[in-house]
Amino acid sequence: MIPVPGDGWVRLSPRKLLLDPVKAVGQAIVPVVVALVGISQSDMRYWPFILPVAVLGPLVLGALPWLTTHYRLTDTQVQVRRGLLNKNTSTAPLDRVRSVDLEASLLHRVLGLQKVQIGTGVDDDRITLDALAAADAHALRTTLLRRRSLQASPGAAPAPPPAPADEAVEAGTGEPGGPAPVAPAPVAPLVPASVLLAQIDWSWLRFAPFSLGRLVLLAGAVGLLSQLGDDLPIWNEQAATSAWEWVTQFAVVAIVAVLVVGALAVWVVLAVAGYVAQWWRFRLVREHGSLHLTAGLFTTRSITVEEPKVRGVEMTEPLLLRLVGGAELSTLATGVENGVTQVLPPCPRAVAVGVGESVLEHPGPLTEDLVPHGAKARRRAWFRQLRHALDLVLVAAVAWWFLDLSWWWLLTLAGALVVLAAAAGEASYRHLGHALDHQHLVAGSGTLARVRTVLETDGIIGWVVSQSWWQRRIGLADLIATTAAGNERVLVRDVRLEVAVALADRATPGLLAPFVVHTDALA
Amino acid sequence: MSDVGGTPVLRAPAHQVSPRAVPFWTVSALIGDAVLVVAALVAWLLIPGVPSWVGLIVALAAALAVAHVVLMPRIRFRVHRWEVTDTAVHTREGWIGRQSRIAPLSRVQTVDSRQGALMRLFGLSSITVTTASAAGPITVDCLDQDTARDVVARLTAITAATADDAT
Repeated sequence: MIPVPGDGWVRLSPRKLLLDPVKAVGQAIVPVVVALVGISQSDMRYWPFILPVAVLGPLVLGALPWLTTHYRLTDTQVQVRRGLLNKNTSTAPLDRVRSVDLEASLLHRVLGLQKVQIGTGVDDDRITLDALAAADAHALRTTLLRRRSLQASPGAAPAPPPAPADEAVEAGTGEPGGPAPVAPAPVAPLVPASVLLAQIDWSWLRFAPFSLGRLVLLAGAVGLLSQLGDDLPIWNEQAATSAWEWVTQFAVVAIVAVLVVGALAVWVVLAVAGYVAQWWRFRLVREHGSLHLTAGLFTTRSITVEEPKVRGVEMTEPLLLRLVGGAELSTLATGVENGVTQVLPPCPRAVAVGVGESVLEHPGPLTEDLVPHGAKARRRAWFRQLRHALDLVLVAAVAWWFLDLSWWWLLTLAGALVVLAAAAGEASYRHLGHALDHQHLVAGSGTLARVRTVLETDGIIGWVVSQSWWQRRIGLADLIATTAAGNERVLVRDVRLEVAVALADRATPGLLAPFVVHTDALA
Repeated sequence: MSDVGGTPVLRAPAHQVSPRAVPFWTVSALIGDAVLVVAALVAWLLIPGVPSWVGLIVALAAALAVAHVVLMPRIRFRVHRWEVTDTAVHTREGWIGRQSRIAPLSRVQTVDSRQGALMRLFGLSSITVTTASAAGPITVDCLDQDTARDVVARLTAITAATADDAT
């Protein structure tokens, strides 16, 4: 039909022929069935025509991408050609390949396939090969990354001593309080083929219920159930009323307690199941100058981030997770689709710190004390939270006024909100801070979560010193280091103006020099 | 204060924007505010049964608009400053708050100039310098259009000389 072009052009895996039709059928099944039911009710004569179309349509549509997509690897480029009528060729120079990510849904894995995504350092410009045979995908990844690491200057790590055998540096299985189960010696980097930085330790499962990220999913599920509940015949008003009367005969408290316990149990099960599914066989490996993460029970992910593109890390300790000594770690990289890549599941803080230091190749930034921002910053932190509380109270007051409820309740609510706001304000002040340590800018932030952002000063590509009217009156400023990595900005909030300027000046020597004057006489 | 040897202060950038920026900002603020005030006035006059204190609010809004139109351009003209050295670009902007922005020219990715219809009337032009960070664009508002052309030429010459991927 469509001949394979020569010169090393290769098709995707033929098993894609199974993958796409299944997907296409999955997408088409509802409209097709609806159509069939509609037709069968009207007339039976058209069946012989409709059935083949309904069956063959998805098959042909599913087969087209395989027939029309080719890729090849030349000495200098990856090229992908697709399209039947509109030919579309994307190319990526090999030396611009920044990341090669593999992903496999359950369907992919049944068929032994992998989806390959090649990132080239330009946002939103990733080459996707969906799907290759798993072995081909891994080979392609290794080829691309090894070639790139060969091209990278070999002088960066002069004359590495004979490396231990592959993956010899096996992480300990991690006693919670003990030494961090990560590869040691971040200061003198060996360069073996691959070093294991971290792998899943199932004792970490204890952190799963304390990580609320999946609560959104649960809320969604509850919402869905309640919608279903609306449709259930028992849930009409009469039934509800009689059920309510029945309920009130018993102790309401007991019912509530059972509900709470039930919800907690559901939460724990969901959280643990989600954790297992997401982080099954999690491994974080350093190889060929890249960080390589693999994980997943049903959908497997394989994410590669080139280490020179990693400009920093961010350690997050959400409120609940911190209570049990857990933390999460992300890398901040440039040229990745989303610059913040979570590289560790919720795990003991010591592990997050160890891996973070290993990635930064420098101990300290994640553990050292931060310079606090002083009494004025604390006042602002308090006022910020109190203002949020005041907004809520105002909204509530309007609602109260409309609904004509007892003002006593409003006062209670206001009191509770003010106490909460004070607690949140104090917490957010305590999380605030900054440090500059061996080419790393460290910023502490967060209200309920404690967040510590570490950015290599090499990655800073500009500064913004911003003062609102209130900040100007008390001599504070927000210092923003702009960067191409991660969220593209690191904010040092409410720091004294002269401290901000001095910090920026020390972090990027020379950049501010023409614009800074030292007022010794006035100081 | 005492923990830093000699208090470092960010000095103001060397150049002011074009003096024609003041009438430009006045006219554009006037247009924007007039629309709002007139809309409020019309609503107050046409909708029946509005309590009388609403009129007070409309009057207050009008007074604020007048203050905005009169004061904002003058304050802003005093605050807005810019400077391009051989290594960096530095701007200061704002009228209630203050923002100082500095970016090294070695990390600059694009240099754009923009001239709206109203700006053309006043012979003004704005320059925006972007880096690889979404938080980093630096805008020099309302330069004299000849100055703007020279600055763009100079910036492009300098940034073309640095061949890095600027991240």
